[in-house]
Parts: sequence; C-alpha cells; structure tokens
Amino acid sequence: MADDLPVDPDALRDQVRDKYRAVAVAPGAGYHFHTGRELASRLGYGDGAVGTLPDRAVESFAGVGNPFSLRPLAAGEHVIDVGSGGGFDSFIAAGQVGPGGQVTGVDMTPEMLAKARQTAAALGLGHVEFREGLAEALPVEDGWADVVISNGVINLCADKRAVFAEIRRVLRPGGRLQFADIANGRPVPIEAMRDIDLWTG
Amino acid sequence: MLQDSGFTDVVTGEAVDTFGGAKGEANARAFDVHGYVFMATRPAGHGRR
Repeated sequence: MADDLPVDPDALRDQVRDKYRAVAVAPGAGYHFHTGRELASRLGYGDGAVGTLPDRAVESFAGVGNPFSLRPLAAGEHVIDVGSGGGFDSFIAAGQVGPGGQVTGVDMTPEMLAKARQTAAALGLGHVEFREGLAEALPVEDGWADVVISNGVINLCADKRAVFAEIRRVLRPGGRLQFADIANGRPVPIEAMRDIDLWTG
Repeated sequence: MLQDSGFTDVVTGEAVDTFGGAKGEANARAFDVHGYVFMATRPAGHGRR
C-alpha cells in the first residue's frame, strides 16, 4: 500500500464489491443510502427519461447526484460511465447521445455487470456495452471518450489521483468529466479515514 | 485535486442532501456530507487518440 493512502486499495475494493453485490441482488434490502426511483427523483433526474426505464434498470441505482445536471450530453458523443453498477446512468446517457453515440460502462462487480448487460439486451440498446474493469485501469483506449461520467464511485476509491489520471487518459483533448460525488464540510479524523468499514457504511 | 490532475474549467454544482432520511443520515450530518456534481475539461492541444 502506498504510504500516502489511508486504506489498502485492495481491501477497500473487496469491501465495496461485497456491498454493491448486495445492492445488485437485493436492491430493496435497506442500506445506509437511498436507492432506486426514489433516489433518482431526490437527485433531480426528470421523470421523463427515468419513467421509460424498467424497474430492473433503476432499482440498483445508488448515486449521490445527477451528473447530467450541469450539462446534458450531446447526440453522437462517446461516453464512459466509471462504476456503472446496474447501468442506470449509462441508460440515461444512451438516451441523450442517441443511436449515433456510444456508451461504455465499466464496473468491477460481476453481479452488477450481469444485471446491466441483461437490461441493455432487454431494452435493445445496441450502442451500450458494459466491461469489467477498475476505475484505476479502465479497459478503454486512449482518447476514446468525449465525456466521462461517474456517480458516487470516486469517493470509494483509495487512490483518487490514480483515478483522475486514468480518466484523463481516456478522454480526448477537450473532452469533459462530469461526475457526482460526496464531499464533507467538516474534517474527518485520520482514525476514521483509516477505518475501512466507514468507507462503505 | 482535479486541477492537480490536469483538468481545467472546473465547475461545482449545488449541494444535494443525498443521505437525508436514509440510515446513513446521522453519519452524514456529523461530517456535513453532501452530494455535489462536478464538471471539468481535459485541455485541448496535447494530441488525440
């Protein structure tokens, strides 16, 4: 583990994977965060696009903001969704970029990937795909993306500088990063930052 | 950190009460945790693809 990281990245990754495996399989079980349609409404997603999606596309959504709120995506754009989970934001992105665009979701949790892929197939979305990978090592070529989106994921990564460097690599020059994440207004004690249980719950 | 990582034109949206009413609300309130939306640009002019 790098000396300047508060927790071991692999240990944190294991814990995050366990948590979101549960959210994929049992989205209504009750977590420390909101999920699903209620959360999407709370975060300002319009009823229009969300309302057209089936429950399985929305129920495992566990974001912390609306990455499309500052700027909607444009038709034809290439988009990467870092930590795509059950695919909710990828499906919203797919609607915005249209069939001339392309959306690639990347996630490390097999249960989330399976759910997202099945939903994309059911929706007949040929311009959306989901790949297994890490935020720190995205399985995408250099400069492919016009836009990178992410929602409530980077705060769960121990090495945020590595994540931002990787996002920069996959963005074309002039491309944009649009992401939602949590931030604290009061300092978190170092002991708490080293407590891996607090990162996910 | 975004600027240190080579991004420019960083924009931050309004705070959102992400955890209000959820089981994690007490912890969120203790550290004034909210959700935010950020937008930033990779500067142009350094090669493409």
